Amino acid sequence: MSSTPLLYGLCAVALFAIGLLGAFLHSGLLTRLLAVNVSGSGVLLLFVVLAYQGAGQRPDPVPHALVLTGLVVAVSATALALMLGRWLQRPEQEPEPETEQDQE
Amino acid sequence: MMDSWLFDVVDALLALTAVVLAAMSVLGSDQKRSIVLFIAFGLLLSLIWARLQAPDLALAEAAIGAGLTGALLLSALPYSTAEKGACRQQRAWADIAFNRALRGLAATLIAGVAIAMIWALDDGRLQSVPFTVSEQVFGHLPHSGVGNPVTAVLLNFRAYDTLLELAVLLCVALGILALGQPSVPVVAPGPVLVLLVGILVPLLVLMAGYLLWVGAHAPGGAFQGGAVLAAAGVLLLLSGHRDAWLPGPRLLAAALGAGLFLFIGAGAAMTLSGAVFLEYPEGWAGAIILLIEAMALLSIAVTLVLAYLGGPPAPSPSPPARHTDVEGH
Amino acid sequence: MTNLLVWPVLLSLAAALGTLIAPSNAARIATVAAALSLWSVLLLLSAVIAEGPQWLILGGWPQGLGIALHADPLSALFLLMSAAVCLAATIFARRYVEHSRYRSQFWPLWLLLQTAIYALLLAADLFNIYVTLELLGLSAVTLSALGGSRAAVQAAVNYLILGLLGSLLFLAGIALIYGRYASLDLQLLARVVEPGPSLWVAMALMTAGLVLKSALFPLHFWLPAVHANAPAPVSAVLSALVVKVAFYLIMRLWLDLFNPAVMSTAADLFGVFGALAIVWGSWQAMFTARLKLLAAYSSIAQLGYLFLFLSLVLVMPEGEDRQLLLGALVLFALSHGFAKSALFLAAGTVQQYAGHDRIAELRGVAGQLPLTFFSLGLAGVALIGLPPSGSFLAKWQLLSTTLLAGQWYWVAVVVVGSLMACVYMFRVLSVAFGEEGVATQRIHSRREELPTLALAVTATLILGLGGVWVWRVLDVGAAGGLG
Repeated sequence: MSSTPLLYGLCAVALFAIGLLGAFLHSGLLTRLLAVNVSGSGVLLLFVVLAYQGAGQRPDPVPHALVLTGLVVAVSATALALMLGRWLQRPEQEPEPETEQDQE
Repeated sequence: MMDSWLFDVVDALLALTAVVLAAMSVLGSDQKRSIVLFIAFGLLLSLIWARLQAPDLALAEAAIGAGLTGALLLSALPYSTAEKGACRQQRAWADIAFNRALRGLAATLIAGVAIAMIWALDDGRLQSVPFTVSEQVFGHLPHSGVGNPVTAVLLNFRAYDTLLELAVLLCVALGILALGQPSVPVVAPGPVLVLLVGILVPLLVLMAGYLLWVGAHAPGGAFQGGAVLAAAGVLLLLSGHRDAWLPGPRLLAAALGAGLFLFIGAGAAMTLSGAVFLEYPEGWAGAIILLIEAMALLSIAVTLVLAYLGGPPAPSPSPPARHTDVEGH
Repeated sequence: MTNLLVWPVLLSLAAALGTLIAPSNAARIATVAAALSLWSVLLLLSAVIAEGPQWLILGGWPQGLGIALHADPLSALFLLMSAAVCLAATIFARRYVEHSRYRSQFWPLWLLLQTAIYALLLAADLFNIYVTLELLGLSAVTLSALGGSRAAVQAAVNYLILGLLGSLLFLAGIALIYGRYASLDLQLLARVVEPGPSLWVAMALMTAGLVLKSALFPLHFWLPAVHANAPAPVSAVLSALVVKVAFYLIMRLWLDLFNPAVMSTAADLFGVFGALAIVWGSWQAMFTARLKLLAAYSSIAQLGYLFLFLSLVLVMPEGEDRQLLLGALVLFALSHGFAKSALFLAAGTVQQYAGHDRIAELRGVAGQLPLTFFSLGLAGVALIGLPPSGSFLAKWQLLSTTLLAGQWYWVAVVVVGSLMACVYMFRVLSVAFGEEGVATQRIHSRREELPTLALAVTATLILGLGGVWVWRVLDVGAAGGLG
């Protein structure tokens, strides 16, 4: 029995915990997002470790597919959060004009 | 024996470095340094995934996890410095002793969670499980229309997840179109950059197409291809093409919805002949999956470019010139 | 196996694409889609009543390989409430967002939110629940940010980060379950799970994630700002459905999947925090200055009741008593869904015509918006739990169960909570029905107030008089469940 899954399993849990801690300790949006991403990487790594069946064995493809989905979800959520954060940094919000201009 | 010992050392080093990089990135106070460390961490992670026999994921993590997320965070850096002052003020208001106690409590709690998770993982796999999904996947792979098991899971066995994931992407794109403002600094591209873009963009487009095609039986697929195509768009943005060649609102909407549209259409078409939703006719599955993937790739790439751009694409800088033209007549 | 299960999801998703491509007809497309979704949910409910729980494995693959959808009386009733509330809120939203600059993005997002709600209520696969939770969270965040004010966007950012953390905890739990049982299908898992470290820790992580999303005290802190600053129809759906779907998932998982590992101490925790939520939420609602904030705090309190119900159901032995209390729980959830959405829509109308929703300055407004305030009063009846509302029947059942068991402390909580609800509802009504009137804009058409009225009447009269039907429908599936 190789110690590979054990090592990376521990690594995954550590990453998850570090990310959670960072998300709690920080109050700035950017640093919190970064922490959430690290924490998410930990969970995804956990899935990859679970898929690993040892050297020379074919890995379980299901967790791999789940991780791919998780990665895309994570990057899109990050993009949304950063856009909202930038919105808050705009100096003066223009009052909403009730204009009818639209791209129809 | 010697080999396995060597592998253990490499594994230990990789795992430890990943944890150290992550800790430095998350717990550090310099934002720029944190982001750079995060990108390094992402690249290391992609190495680990390659080591754990997940080449599909290594590709995706390098392109999406480290590359795009890193680029997004970096592009947000100039905006987040103003935020810091506000935070400090808040902290001065808060009761420091209470705050410290709360932090201690949280750290203890999180450490407890980590220990509990290790305890749970130590459980190992239940022996009496009748069969695993993995066995099912390989058993039904010949009927899935593709040879790459990960693609088969994503676009056939668990296609519904991918369908909803495309909806997630659409949701983010809509949010950016509604509330965002383009934020990419306009730089005058030097001749080297122009030349580089001229070479790299077609190359990246080709590579995206290749990844899509090869994903049917080897590592690759719509997500990796979409990320690579998005990289081409980001390059265009950086070299002064303020719209990254994105089309006008109507076509943009169509590109954003294309993947979902084809997915729903293909999934529902067969229900008319009594099949279950998302059941593809035998023999056609490969072609249908490729078509869905092609459209999904487009939607993914457009969404990711929008994400980097941060708002609806600015109209190309030609209108003012045309305007004076009209006045001249 | 019937494709009927996928219709509510598909209709909303297809309509989202339709509104994306044809923004000029978006409002019409959304209304038709909401009506068709309600119709398909009714068909599904009648199929469940006639034939028992319904299953569908997408793609025609064997169980475990493909993703399963599932509808039993419990999910069908929640679906019915969701579809009805969505239809009313959609009709209301047509006027509300008519002049908004965001309307070409509002409609597709609105339909994506509905897609996620239906998909979650039908889900029977752990990872699918995760993806759908993300769709629910991100569409809810974006829609609430469309409120367009600084407060709305700030609240949306906090909501987003906390939502992401909640989903991550949930996903970590899934990893532990998959690591031990190598399956994601809820029905298959329910057959093999056994108490042990994996199940306990997974249960704790997943529950923590969902509790954060369902805003149970003391993890409720993100909710008031989000619900009070979002556009009114969005607030209605957030308060009536989105947090409740997270609660539904907790209920589903604890009743069906974690069943062998439920310990009475864990269940009691739900009850304790539920009771605290009732008192704290009602207290805040009594003193808050704004009508929408009042509605938001009231939601925290009402969610507290749901957790209190759940804690009692979980420790009860299988049997008729448990089924009675479960029915009361569902009836309470449905009543709250209708009443709270009515309250938020009414608040939206008030805000539009009076220009603000500061309670103290609403003197006499009822005279100008009589139908809206009549609906608000009816919704209040259901939120307090007075007869003939559905929540009255539910609370009655709760009281008799706890009294029989000698748990007088729960009785005290319910009585105090109801009295506090009386105070905060009558505080609004007494001001609004006051003598001197404040001038508001004239309402364009009485029809705008009809969706609000329909929701309030459903909460108070239809569910009150038809409450027995809820118990009967649930009994159909008493033998079913996931096992």
